[in-house]
This record gives sequence, C-alpha cells and structure tokens, in this order.
Amino acid sequence: MRAIQFLAALAVSLPMAFAQAAGPKIPRLANGKPDFSGIWQTTSAAEYDLEPHSGRADAPPGAGVVAGNVIPYLPEALEQRKKNFAARGELDPRLKCWTLGTPRGIYYPEPFQIFQRDRDLTVVFQFGQSVRTIHTNGTLHPQVTDNEFWLGDSRGHWEGDTLVVDVRDFTEETWLDRSGNFHSTQLHVVERWKFLDENTIDYQATIEDPKVFSRPWTLGVILHRHREKNFQLIENYCFTLGYDKYYPVPKGE
Amino acid sequence: MTTMLRSFALLALISTPLAYAQQSAPAVGGAGIQRETKIVPIASGRWTGPRLPDGQPDVQGHWSNTIANHNNWTDPQGGIPGDPSPRARPLGPRDQRAPSRVSDPPDGELPFQPWARTQQQEFLEYFHNPVKEQYIEPLARCAPAGVPKSFTWHGYEIRQYPNYVLILFNSGTRIIHLDGKPHLPDGIKLWNADSRGRWEGNTLIVDVTNNNAKARLARTGEFFSENARIEERYVFDNNGQRYNYVATITDPAVFTRPWTTTIPARRYSEKDTPDGWHFETALANTTDGRPLTERYERICVENNGPFGNVAVLSK
Repeated sequence: MRAIQFLAALAVSLPMAFAQAAGPKIPRLANGKPDFSGIWQTTSAAEYDLEPHSGRADAPPGAGVVAGNVIPYLPEALEQRKKNFAARGELDPRLKCWTLGTPRGIYYPEPFQIFQRDRDLTVVFQFGQSVRTIHTNGTLHPQVTDNEFWLGDSRGHWEGDTLVVDVRDFTEETWLDRSGNFHSTQLHVVERWKFLDENTIDYQATIEDPKVFSRPWTLGVILHRHREKNFQLIENYCFTLGYDKYYPVPKGE
Repeated sequence: MTTMLRSFALLALISTPLAYAQQSAPAVGGAGIQRETKIVPIASGRWTGPRLPDGQPDVQGHWSNTIANHNNWTDPQGGIPGDPSPRARPLGPRDQRAPSRVSDPPDGELPFQPWARTQQQEFLEYFHNPVKEQYIEPLARCAPAGVPKSFTWHGYEIRQYPNYVLILFNSGTRIIHLDGKPHLPDGIKLWNADSRGRWEGNTLIVDVTNNNAKARLARTGEFFSENARIEERYVFDNNGQRYNYVATITDPAVFTRPWTTTIPARRYSEKDTPDGWHFETALANTTDGRPLTERYERICVENNGPFGNVAVLSK
C-alpha cells in the first residue's frame, strides 16, 4: 500500500521535476509560478546615475546600467536633463522623501519587500514605505486614461518563469535617478523579473517615453535577497522628518 | 490630476467637512461616515470560516470601522469639543450615540495620570487654534495615523501571506510578522510600531512595541508614551463580515492602570459602492465582466494631500 502511494506521488511530481530541471532551483508558489517573496536590494550604483560616470562628491563611480551606455534623449529633453543634473542637490524629489517611482524604487539603495499571492505581488519599499501592487490576475490597465500614479499602474503576466510587467499611467514628478534623468507622463515601463538563482533576481526595465526619448532603451540591475538573521524592513517615513521635532511625547515630572 | 488634487487640497483646507475625503474624489453628499450606535461583542473561539493554505483564517479584503472617525476617542460621534464650526446635526443625548472606544475601565475614560490628563486637555484646547506647531495633528501633515488611530481613519485592506499579515491603511502600512522573530531593539521608534502576531482560533493576537507615540489617538489629544505595550486582539466573526479590534494598552508612565479599547469594523466588498472614505477602491478592468475590487496607490504628501485645520502644506 505504501509503495503504491509512493509511486502515485512520484507520478504526480515527476512532470514538475522535469519542467524545472532546465533552470535553476527556485522558490515557487503552489500554482508553480516563481515566488519572488522576500526582501531585496541592489548593490549597483544605478541610483546615483544610470549612465556610466566617474566618482564625484555625491556619487561613487559606476559603469552604468543602461544597455549601450547612453540614454537616447530628444534634444530638448537632453537640455532639461543637464539642468536637472546641475540642480540635483536641490531638485531631486528623493530629498523630500517623495515616492521614488518605477523603476527607481527598485534600485534605490534601501531594501524593499515582495509579498506574493496568485492575484498580485505587493511591493513595500522601506524608503517612504510606499506600496506598489503588481496585478497578475489578467486584469488590464484602468480604462480611465488620466490617472497619474507615482508608481504607475502595473499589470503583469508570466512568460515561462519570467514575470513581465507593463507599467503606465505615471505622474511626471519622479526622477529616474539622483543625477536628474527624468520622464514625462507618457512614460511606459516594461519590466522583466527573472530568478538567476534562488537568492538573486535579474531585473530589467525597458523605458519608453516619446516626449523625452528618441527610442525605447533598457536598464538592468541584479537584486540580492537579504538573508541576515531576522532581517526586516524598518519603516522609513522620512517625509515626516521635517516636522518630527514638533511632536515630542509628553512626559511627566 | 495633480492640479486637481492641489485645488482639492486647498479646498479641504478651508472647508473642514471636505477634509474627510482626503486623497480621493469626494462622495456625493459628503463622506458618509458610518454611524452605528452599538458595538456588538464577538467572542474569541474557534474559527469555522475559510482558511488560507498556510492555515491562517482568511480575512483578506477591505474593512472599515462602523461608528465614526478620529474626531473624538471617548465620544466617537460627539464631534470635537470646542469646534467653532456649526454641527451638521444637533448633538442628542449621550446614550443615543456610540459608546466610548474605551471598553475598560467601565466608565469609558482613559485612566490618565493627572499630568497626562492636563497634556491631553491642552492639545484639545488648542486643536482649533493651533498657536504652536505641536497642536497640529501629525496626520494632517500626512504622517501615518499609527497604532491604534489608523483603525478609525478611512477604510483599509488586509492582505495575508505565509508568516505575514499586511494592513494597507489610507495613511501608512503595517507589516505584522507571524514567524516569531524577536522585536526590533528598544532604541528604534516607529510611527506604526513593530508588530509580532499569532493566530488563536478566530483571533489574531499582536504584540506591539517600538511605538514612537507621536500620532495621538484622536483629535481630542489622547496619547501614550514610547514605552507603551499594546496587545491587540482582532476578533473575527465566523460569518466573515465583522470583527472587533480589542487592544489593551499598558503604560505605567502615563496611566494609572492598563486600559482596553474596542473598535468595531465591518467588511466591504464588491456588493458595496465605493464611498471615498470607508471603501476607497476601484473596480478592476476585467476582460470577463466579473466585478473585482482593487486598490490604487495611496500618496499623501506628494499629492499635496495635507488637510484640515490649518495644516501646513509645504512642511
């Protein structure tokens, strides 16, 4: 009897085992999809400047994360980017702790956590404690077209073990990094999330914005799983720091 | 959209009632805050409702409190004492309004030490005339409403995962850890504190520490200190439609004894109409026509969302 149960179990599990044999061993949900649950962070210098740059007072050097090295700005937009760069110490929205946007939140040097269900992935960013939902239930972008979300509207689908996310409906208020790379409300991001191994994600984002760029371009970073014992996000509502001092907790004699 | 939101925020500044509808389109005819007058007890016990694959009772979805908002902790439907703006409806006898959110002591009052009562009264006294920055409620500046005030402020969504319960509030997010890891070190103080939970039958029990204690409980100014320990019990009715939030606050520095608060809540679903306050959702764009509720991002300070009672827009 036990032998029969064993064989039956083997028969059920074998197809899954073969399906996974081709790629790395990765965590999966019960439905077989890759399970990106966990706390992630890049070690890249993408946040400082997406393009190749030497070290400077406010940035460590970086080889860049843009395919082909150069972001293909339209001429007028390139002028704006130069102005942004010159004033980055004052104008970067991050300095106010404003929601970083997509994809910047992904490669900002603070951890973020993914919580995953069949119907969606919830991304909680430690910085500002922003919350982004990536829907994976077959729903489409809202029919309303004038939404201007700080994190965009994210609709994902699976291509094999790759999560492909279409992100639209953006505000123009966010920057792509702290060097002043920017976009308009026409920003359209297509993300590709794929495990390299169980603790490493290959993250790529193709950026399209006909008002700012002459053609779509792609950036890529690697995300590492936080494996420190008892590691957790520590809320960072840094936008409260400006008025925090007005709220000392009352104390008795 | 941004311009519209800014205009709306400005409008909210000069019109207190509209402030309820922060960050969302104002509902026709006002925000329609729920005003049930009874809190029905729910007993802790077995859970007979649906479960998630990891064994947790499945309480995912949209919830909101049933008796009022954050105006007044101990007389939830009594308005803010000293409010100079005229009441929309006359204030009837006390026993015709919902009871105090303080369920123990039986008199419905927080057992403040005398100095702490004075501090609470001072905040309330200046609430309508905040001559100092400290009298502006932090929530009006987009700070998280914190524990436990968040449960009286707009509807919220509960999402569940193995080892976690996630609560997405209108203002702030809580990650409740169910995996038994230790609390953060004492020196870390947070708007939404640090939460460790476990399920017992129909009840989620959460130990809350590391509270920065800046949020105040209500516009009436109630508070506790950074060393407060809060034991929360989320007691879910097996019909899946109601739960009571029952929290005991222990803080010898501020109170003469531990006290307990009870906040009733009900579920909102596709059967309900979004109302811009309790149920701030949208219907998903589905391909098969099935109704499916989803939640858009909550952004406050970036959208110039501070509101009400002389809030400061730029700080």
